[in-house]
Amino acid sequence: MNKLFTASVLALATASTAFAQDLPQAGSTWFTDGQATIETMLAKQANTGRALNVILFVADGNGVASNYMNRMWAGQQEGGMGDDYVQPFEAFPELALVKTYNINAQTPDSAPTAGAMNTGVKQRFNLINLGENAVHDDCSTVAGNELTLFSELMTQAGKSVGAVTSARLTHATPAAVYAKTANRNWEDAVPEGCTAQKDIASQLVDAMKAGTLDVALGGGARYFVPEGTETPNGGQGGRADGVNLVEMAREAGIDIIADKAELDALDGSKPVLGLIADSHAAYEADRAETEPSLADMTKRAIELLSTNENGFYLEVESGRVDHANHATNAKRAMIDGKAFADAVAMADEMTDDADTLIIVTADHEHAIAMNGYCGRGTPIDGLCFDVAQTGILHTDEPVLAADGKPYTVVGYLNGASSVLVEQEDGTFAAPDGRPDLTQEQAQDIDYTQQVLIPKDSESHSGVDVALYAKGPWAHLFDGTVEQNYIFHVMDYAVNAGE
Amino acid sequence: MMLTRRSFLGQSPLALLGAGLSTPFLITAAQAAPQAGDAPLKIRDLYDKGAVLSPRARALDGTRIAISGFMAPPLKADAAFFVLTKMPMATCPFCEPGVEWPDTILPVYSKRRVDVIPFNVPIEARGVLRLSEFIDPETGFWSIIRLEDARYARS
Repeated sequence: MNKLFTASVLALATASTAFAQDLPQAGSTWFTDGQATIETMLAKQANTGRALNVILFVADGNGVASNYMNRMWAGQQEGGMGDDYVQPFEAFPELALVKTYNINAQTPDSAPTAGAMNTGVKQRFNLINLGENAVHDDCSTVAGNELTLFSELMTQAGKSVGAVTSARLTHATPAAVYAKTANRNWEDAVPEGCTAQKDIASQLVDAMKAGTLDVALGGGARYFVPEGTETPNGGQGGRADGVNLVEMAREAGIDIIADKAELDALDGSKPVLGLIADSHAAYEADRAETEPSLADMTKRAIELLSTNENGFYLEVESGRVDHANHATNAKRAMIDGKAFADAVAMADEMTDDADTLIIVTADHEHAIAMNGYCGRGTPIDGLCFDVAQTGILHTDEPVLAADGKPYTVVGYLNGASSVLVEQEDGTFAAPDGRPDLTQEQAQDIDYTQQVLIPKDSESHSGVDVALYAKGPWAHLFDGTVEQNYIFHVMDYAVNAGE
Repeated sequence: MMLTRRSFLGQSPLALLGAGLSTPFLITAAQAAPQAGDAPLKIRDLYDKGAVLSPRARALDGTRIAISGFMAPPLKADAAFFVLTKMPMATCPFCEPGVEWPDTILPVYSKRRVDVIPFNVPIEARGVLRLSEFIDPETGFWSIIRLEDARYARS
């Protein structure tokens, strides 16, 4: 019976192949596009050369759902319906899903996730680049648990190292390139009596002086400047210990820049510390022209690092997709998602697939999801419009929930914009139901999505994130992988498997 | 809570005021003043990109305006002061070190003790917009822009 079944399947498959061109749907663009994709896949060839350069792109908090939202936004900004738009990295040949949990956290935070990518091992919640026996917030567990970083290995191999971010340079994701800390929040100070490690900003300058970090571009200036002293971009320093790390860096021969003009004017003869904002850089939606974009910083970092003929390792983080998602402000998240895609495109254009491994991923997902059922072309930043009976585009009628009110396409499970309101007795309720909503309100740049569970800040989630890759040994990314595996592919690629 | 050392803007408030004074006004007060039936202002109308005060904000200095937003959880109980935020914020935007929302808020001084409205309920505040450096003697809160003599209600 099994044999008979197998034979039938084979016969059917053979018939399908033989007469595919005769199928009634064979003339459809969908059909011919599908056939063309087969040709593309068959033409794929593994690149087994040595990676001269490695660029790791991390859009913080940009899991599969966030990435979908960004794709729709970018496509609709170009006048399309969004679904069929291809973000630059979505055309990369290799893809994997990444499991992001931490050693002790089903829902990860950005510190150990970035640490996993930079050391090859999973780490504990809220720690950066310390081994599994280290304890959060306990300085006494630092000594003996420090891990070796990919940046340190690359420095030993003669390569240059860079970190670019739209968050503070001392924030979790960029810090994982150069720092080791029992608490991700020790950005400008450690607890009294803690001598086993320095604060993260001090570690950054130490790394630049040691030559394990050559280009660092991002925000966070006030963590490098004492209280009462002006930061390079005119703000106020915040260090309580009186240490002026900016001056120390200058004295060590490191160029300091604070805006786009100064970034552009660099001659590249020295290591560069760019402090473009006192805290995080601006959201892309709010960015002034004097502040460099993520693509601007990525371009300059590659230009500076490329002067080393031995190659480089560069980590680029889009930090503010995460922050906008935390605020349940989907529109700013998708605009920063587009800025991230622009930075990837810039790097891809400036480098050669033959010798540069480019990895594009996220550190974790958020508690974000999409509502339905919306028709094609429904603006991703607005209300869900109904599916049309004929034609392709959505109808002009918003889909109504059981309460008779419309709702947005993008939703979050929790956050500050809960529909539940604290009552005088301390309970949370929605006596009048959830708020009504117009398309104008929903598309406002400051709109925050309706969520159910009230929380101070929307949370991450443990859902997988996607990883796109191209270049030497990118084909080692396949299937569902652990996040710490990313380090191992980078390491394998720069050594060409030796 | 350390309020005295905090300004709510990411850069020197004096520098911001100076920047404003050196820029020619592009909008007159009469043009900027709200007319009957106008939609309330939004906090973003008060700032330009880069967290600098907008010409419209400067033109409205000293005039009575209506503005929409949310009431951040008050910094101090029984005060006649709260912070209007452009998005719901469940925690005080100034009390966590390292966190700044420089162009997302407007301090509001009300006529009477503040009756707290939950942070995620949209409100509209009406009052006199004032642009000048001011240190609140009760809270130590340092501002260069605020709404004075204000009333507020759920919108």
